[in-house]
Amino acid sequence: VELEKSLLSDHELRLLEDADRISRQQSGDYDSDEEDTADQEIITAKDMEDAWEQKLQKYHTAPRLLESVDMDFSSVDRCLGDNLILLAKQQVGSEELWLLPQLQWEAGETLRQTAERALDTVPGADFKARFLGNTPCGVYKYKFPKAIRTESSVGAKVFFFKALLSSHNPSQTQKGAFMWVKKSELQNYLKPEYLKQVNRFVISI
Amino acid sequence: MTTMVSRVVTGLLSRQCARPCSLTGLDANLRHSHWFPSVMALKTSPPLRAEPMKKKKVDPKREQLRRERLKKKLKKLERVPPELIPIEDFMPSAKYLDETRIRSLPQLPEEENERRALLLKEWSRYKQAQHKAEMNAIEQALEAQREALKELRLESEELYRAAIRPDPTLLPFQHQGPSYTPAKDNYQAPEGKYTDITKVYTQ
Repeated sequence: VELEKSLLSDHELRLLEDADRISRQQSGDYDSDEEDTADQEIITAKDMEDAWEQKLQKYHTAPRLLESVDMDFSSVDRCLGDNLILLAKQQVGSEELWLLPQLQWEAGETLRQTAERALDTVPGADFKARFLGNTPCGVYKYKFPKAIRTESSVGAKVFFFKALLSSHNPSQTQKGAFMWVKKSELQNYLKPEYLKQVNRFVISI
Repeated sequence: MTTMVSRVVTGLLSRQCARPCSLTGLDANLRHSHWFPSVMALKTSPPLRAEPMKKKKVDPKREQLRRERLKKKLKKLERVPPELIPIEDFMPSAKYLDETRIRSLPQLPEEENERRALLLKEWSRYKQAQHKAEMNAIEQALEAQREALKELRLESEELYRAAIRPDPTLLPFQHQGPSYTPAKDNYQAPEGKYTDITKVYTQ
């Protein structure tokens, strides 16, 4: 629609002129002296267009979705079209679960510092992240199973912080310890209650 | 001395003019003009006869006043408001008003128009759904954050206050968003030299 409403551009005018000139040359009574083009252009606009077309076809962009990289869960470049969340394997009580990287808070430091430490201690590649603010973006609280409950601690609260990855340095030593998942794949790895809370602040279009 | 001489000369001149014109025509008239004081006097020209200017007492003050008046006038002239810089975008240049540039459009059939109208409606519906989804997601995230802060407050006041503190390193915030295709390895972008011909106006 925009093309229709616009005026003819310089390039298009040139195309029309060239076409006119060629038709005049090919018609019978053509007198080259009448042509007042001092600069007889050897390259017509049409040729230039063709050259540009060819150049475009030669250029290939890098592929958007690569099957092989998509399958590798621990690479940062998988599924470039979606937002990815980092999951790390954590030991909780007696089980090993896939969770967002977490650490026990220690007295004397802010929650954000705990979160930074948690990111550092994720085994494997060292990630540098940019934290978006001091406040937590979500909370998940759960009660310990009856066996572990003591007088003072009935349960635990997990606070989540949001951060954007700024740089990563993959080292090949430990591969199974963490992975990057899309929001839709989260449900395969997280517990339902946990997942419900996490889903609220993870935004993916 | 010289003043007396000049007065005497002018006296002679006036007496000479009173005589009837017995003298031969033009010559006499020429001689009687003030450029030639008298035939008898030395042949002097006005520049030679000029005297140095007399000093008047109130001169420096008068000159100062004159200078001040001129300066005031200059200031008034310079107080003109600065010229408005013309905005290039608001004035269509002459080459776009050329008639040869008008595109001749083919008349679109009815079906094409209908198809376009329906497409626009689809698009608006899609965009509305997208917007709603985005708003909902943001609302949920905010709600989650509010709850988190509430819980934190229940836990410990100190941590809560630490969390609420604004982060000075956050703003100004810059983030490179995703591009449609990932970056190619070892790609050399074609280098183009260009000369900037934008007109710069100074006020």
